[in-house]
Amino acid sequence: MAGRPGTNPTTYSPSLKTQKTRSTIFKDQEIDWVRPDGRGFQQCRPAFFRTGAVTAASGSAYAEFGNTKVIVSVFGPRESKKAMMYSDIGRLNCNVSYTTFATPVRAQGSDRKEFSSMLHKALEGAIILETFPKTTVDVFALVLESGGSDLPVVISCASLALADAGILMYDLVTSVSLSCLGKNLVIDPILEEESYQDGSLMITCMPSRYEVTQLTITGEWSTPKINEGMQLCLDACSKLANIMRSCLKEATTSSQE
Amino acid sequence: MGLPDASGDLSSEMEVDAFRRLFPLRFYERHLAESIRPDGRPLGRARDTTIALGAVTSADGSALAKIGSTTMLAAVKMEVMTPSMESPDEGCIAIDFHMPPICSPIVRPGRPAEAAPVVSKQLSDTISSGKAAWMAYLDIYCLDADGALFDAALLSAVAALFHLQIPAVSLNDDGKIVVSEEDGGKLEKEPVNKEKRKLTLRSIPFSLTCILHKNYILADPTSEEEAIMETLVTVVLDSSSQLISLYKPGGAVLAYTSAVQDCIALTRQRVRELQKILDEANSGMEVD
Repeated sequence: MAGRPGTNPTTYSPSLKTQKTRSTIFKDQEIDWVRPDGRGFQQCRPAFFRTGAVTAASGSAYAEFGNTKVIVSVFGPRESKKAMMYSDIGRLNCNVSYTTFATPVRAQGSDRKEFSSMLHKALEGAIILETFPKTTVDVFALVLESGGSDLPVVISCASLALADAGILMYDLVTSVSLSCLGKNLVIDPILEEESYQDGSLMITCMPSRYEVTQLTITGEWSTPKINEGMQLCLDACSKLANIMRSCLKEATTSSQE
Repeated sequence: MGLPDASGDLSSEMEVDAFRRLFPLRFYERHLAESIRPDGRPLGRARDTTIALGAVTSADGSALAKIGSTTMLAAVKMEVMTPSMESPDEGCIAIDFHMPPICSPIVRPGRPAEAAPVVSKQLSDTISSGKAAWMAYLDIYCLDADGALFDAALLSAVAALFHLQIPAVSLNDDGKIVVSEEDGGKLEKEPVNKEKRKLTLRSIPFSLTCILHKNYILADPTSEEEAIMETLVTVVLDSSSQLISLYKPGGAVLAYTSAVQDCIALTRQRVRELQKILDEANSGMEVD
């Protein structure tokens, strides 16, 4: 029978994943973790970028890192809300939301406020706000499938979408995250690794200028470990920036043909 | 074409865009008089349609449908529910249509689009299925809004249901349904269904939206056409050409019998095209 809109029967997901408890491997620091997708600890997933995914937007990009799939649309610069005060620099408005089927267990697809504000902080240092006074640039992200390391992918994809929209920036913004599993540092973690992690480190930087716009650390970290982690991430960020640049170049050459 | 205009000489190329923005209706009527539309299509032709099955791996069934630039992603997730007393053998399907802010400049986060609940209701009226005590959550996300939202949404929903594979489950000791282990090691659990199976669909609905303007009928409008000419008619036929629904929400142009019959004839043709596209997408998946 067709869905009865009034009734909401309680349902549960038959998936086994919700019932797995955290594995006890890491109590014993000697045993190493083997990555389920066969990558090395310092190997990121292959990145796929495509600009111009949404024709209704000023600029847009689609990013796919393994199972993490994200679409970001940029609208603007357009009129700020009437209630806002005059401002002689531009405004940035960010919003990140998940689809209901992005996570293995179905969840209400609501806005993620903390991700939205983190995306805002990551991007605002890179955008030249003085070039669009009185107006607002809207950056909307939709995570189609969450396969781990979601926020870094959203940030990188957002900066590509901003470049596609022609918003002036100091440099492309790239982001990579790192998980600490026992004594191992694992870069670009998948969902399973993130659920087992002892700590995480996420860096967002502008690679050509070698400047960091955002650094987020959770868990317990010693100073040498932080230095090692940061170095790994910064290297990965500059490689990612090259991939993004070649994607943009490809897009412009194909549109010129 | 003898139309009076106050904007001077409009034949130079640079001013075509301005004319399109300032006098959209006249721009379109000039094209319609020649039986063609600005994107080069004849009046009765729909835009290029593609379907890709299995776009999202975290869902049990998914499909991405594109009609021209309008892109819809539909995904089905199965959960277990206790069936109601009056119909212990029937499951349930919950359909939700979302327009996230990425799809169009008019949608703002936190304020759902006006079109969303309308399309949601239309879809619920059209689709029906059900097996055992499964609850199917069908969510459709609009990724790019460029007209004919209902057609693309219905197509992606149907394709996702086609692609759906109900997982193999067994009954746990606690009376809960659990996904069966791949290696089939645990023998104390009684398997309810041994392997993944596909949903059997009785008849598949396909639709076509047409715009009525004076005595022209335009099939498969873009968002620009929908904004200018407001009278829409949506016809839903099933694969055996039986009429499932006819939807005409007001509009300035009255739908006389001849107009309705023409719309239905265009839809019948479209059903054949869509059936072929869906079959190709399906057989493409099975080869893997």
